[in-house]
Amino acid sequence: MTMQIAEAPYITPTRRRVLVVSRWCLQAAIVAVVAGLAIWLALAVREALARKGIQFSFGYLWNAANISLSEGLVLSRDGAWPVLEPFSPTHSNAQALFAGLWNSLKVALTAIVLCTVSGTLVGIGRLSTNWLVRNLCFGLVECVRNTPLLIQIVFWYFAVVLRFPPANAASGWLGGLIASRSGLFLPGLAVSEDASLASQALLVAAVASTIAALVMRGGRRKLTCLAVALVALALAAALGFPLSADLPVATRFGARGGFALSPEMTAILLAITVNSAAYVAEIVRGAIDALPKGQWEAAASLGLSRSHTLRDIILPQVLRIVLPSLANRYISLTKDTSLGIAIGFPDLFNVYGTVSNQTGRNLEGVIIVMLTYLALSWIISACVNALNARINRQGGTR
Amino acid sequence: MSTVALRWLHCNLFAKPFDAALSLVVIPALAWAIYASLHWGLVEARWEVIGGSLKVLMAGIYPVDQIWRAWFALAMLCAMFGAGLGLAMRPGRVALTAVASVAILIAATVAVVSGAGAGVLAAGSAALGLAAWSAVHHSARAQRLVLPGLFAGVAAIFAVLSAPGFEVWGGLLLSIVLTLTVSILSVPFGILLALGRQSRIASLRLISTAYIETMRSVPLILVVYWVWIIVPLLAPDTSVPSLLRGMAGYALFFAAYVAEYVRSGLQAVPKGQIEAARSLGMGTWTVNFDIVLPQALRVVVPSLVGQILDIFNGATLVFIIGLTDFLRAGQMILADPQNGGRTYEIYLFLFAVYFAIGGAITYASRRLEAHLARGSR
Repeated sequence: MTMQIAEAPYITPTRRRVLVVSRWCLQAAIVAVVAGLAIWLALAVREALARKGIQFSFGYLWNAANISLSEGLVLSRDGAWPVLEPFSPTHSNAQALFAGLWNSLKVALTAIVLCTVSGTLVGIGRLSTNWLVRNLCFGLVECVRNTPLLIQIVFWYFAVVLRFPPANAASGWLGGLIASRSGLFLPGLAVSEDASLASQALLVAAVASTIAALVMRGGRRKLTCLAVALVALALAAALGFPLSADLPVATRFGARGGFALSPEMTAILLAITVNSAAYVAEIVRGAIDALPKGQWEAAASLGLSRSHTLRDIILPQVLRIVLPSLANRYISLTKDTSLGIAIGFPDLFNVYGTVSNQTGRNLEGVIIVMLTYLALSWIISACVNALNARINRQGGTR
Repeated sequence: MSTVALRWLHCNLFAKPFDAALSLVVIPALAWAIYASLHWGLVEARWEVIGGSLKVLMAGIYPVDQIWRAWFALAMLCAMFGAGLGLAMRPGRVALTAVASVAILIAATVAVVSGAGAGVLAAGSAALGLAAWSAVHHSARAQRLVLPGLFAGVAAIFAVLSAPGFEVWGGLLLSIVLTLTVSILSVPFGILLALGRQSRIASLRLISTAYIETMRSVPLILVVYWVWIIVPLLAPDTSVPSLLRGMAGYALFFAAYVAEYVRSGLQAVPKGQIEAARSLGMGTWTVNFDIVLPQALRVVVPSLVGQILDIFNGATLVFIIGLTDFLRAGQMILADPQNGGRTYEIYLFLFAVYFAIGGAITYASRRLEAHLARGSR
């Protein structure tokens, strides 16, 4: 019986060959159709632009931009050293796009840090034993998630930040933070001019060994690094500490000194942080809920308090579960910075719009912007994947 | 009674020292916030600005003498919404009373603000919606008509509203019609992309994956803006209205997200189903469309309903192509120097409406999820 089946295969070699050939033909046909479509699209756009007198080329990137941006740094050269300097209209179009990217990244990176911390707190708050805290956190998350981000950005800008008092009337809170309609001014760090080179070097060494302590594995090495950091810090202080707090001082139109955030930057940062914090809270809460109840019960039966259980048992496991979801959230957050155009924040998309309006070069611009966003998404995914691998490897060895 | 209340307080607010401390911080702050907002809302706020600009908020610059077309669209939308509700939810006494009383409240407010005629029209639309809800729930024949009815309804809205031109569409009406149209358009394209990504043909798989991943890593605003720019270049002789170009951009963008949801649904269909169908001699198309997709789509319906919220929230971005949606209409009213000081009134109203609609969509999505989970157990 089995012999018969083996001798009478379903598909004869000839038929198999026909199938293989037809499948290859199908593949070729699909590729040809899609490639043809893409080429037709590109050619038609190019021709249409040519009719307007615009040739497809990236040469315009090196022409002077002749636009002004309210903020943004560009990379330029001071001798052999690359330095960052504020954008000015004489800079090239490429520099303008770089300034836009700089602004986008500035908001995205700050918001990623802030929303992760506050979102985790709100997520834990949603599981609090306190009824009020639990429901307030729930209400906040629902309000934020069920309304458009754009209205939140616009609201923070027009109804909150621009309603702050003027800088000279704003009271300095918390020893130096000035919240005014001309922006947010935070205390910064300044390098004292009279500091000796030795103390500066020692401070750098202290920071480096602190970072090394964070990265190192093994308790003894960590302790050594920390000790080195402390000694270096003490020596630096003894030689005349090179850093001093730089408190902002209110003036008529803003503030001098400190670390300044423009009103647009303040608004979009607040909006995106609050918005993403709500999503992060939901991710964290979902992950905590997804852990087996036995974890809580086992910890409780060992006599651990709820806060200890959360800190030592639950959160380390949650971190592993949430990383992929957080990566998606961070990518969305980075894309959300493109809404800065609604309040005049010069992010990458806004600058792209201005530059292509000036030069008429939409096609080249969109290719650059699209590739930049793709690259940003890939970088975020790659970073989170690396972190994920590292954490899971650590978990595996223990 | 008081012992019950004390017990509740003890368990929920003062169970542990930390909880008690939190409560002692939160309760005064909350009390102050509630007092301040009530005082503002009842004493200081000038709500007349909403009444005076209700037409602009709802329909933008739609010509006043053609406004019956907008009313027709509202009635159609109510009927379609009611019919959709009829598929998912039983019109029980409590639900029916709740929806009806909210509708009466809205209609009464409209009557007070913009005259009795408008109030009657609003009440009539709501009644149509309620009737559709109960009709669809009770009659199997009506249930079969829901999907074709949805397409016909959208077509009718377009046919009726487009007479004065697409440029005058605006306000909440624009946001809702855009959301509805894009939700419908993105689904078939998304399904095709998902099937392409799962296909055995490598080139199809590659192209679908590339499309989906590219769309998912660029911002919506870029896609909408670019489609809006590119269409006149491709078709220089015809002038496609901004609204339709915008809808195309949204549909192209959200199709990638639909594709990912559908793909998760496709993966949820047991492999045995496909093998069984193949062993019965079915071809690829028959297997996909008669066996796999009906089961996959059933799983992803809650996600697709949830995505309607994303589209609705994303609809605020049409300002980039010069259209006046609900949010933009609110900003236009604020730009009028006469209403300069009424920022909070307008934004609170916008937030409330967005939250009401968004909350309803989220609620529907969660309910559907629970409903389907019960069915599959």
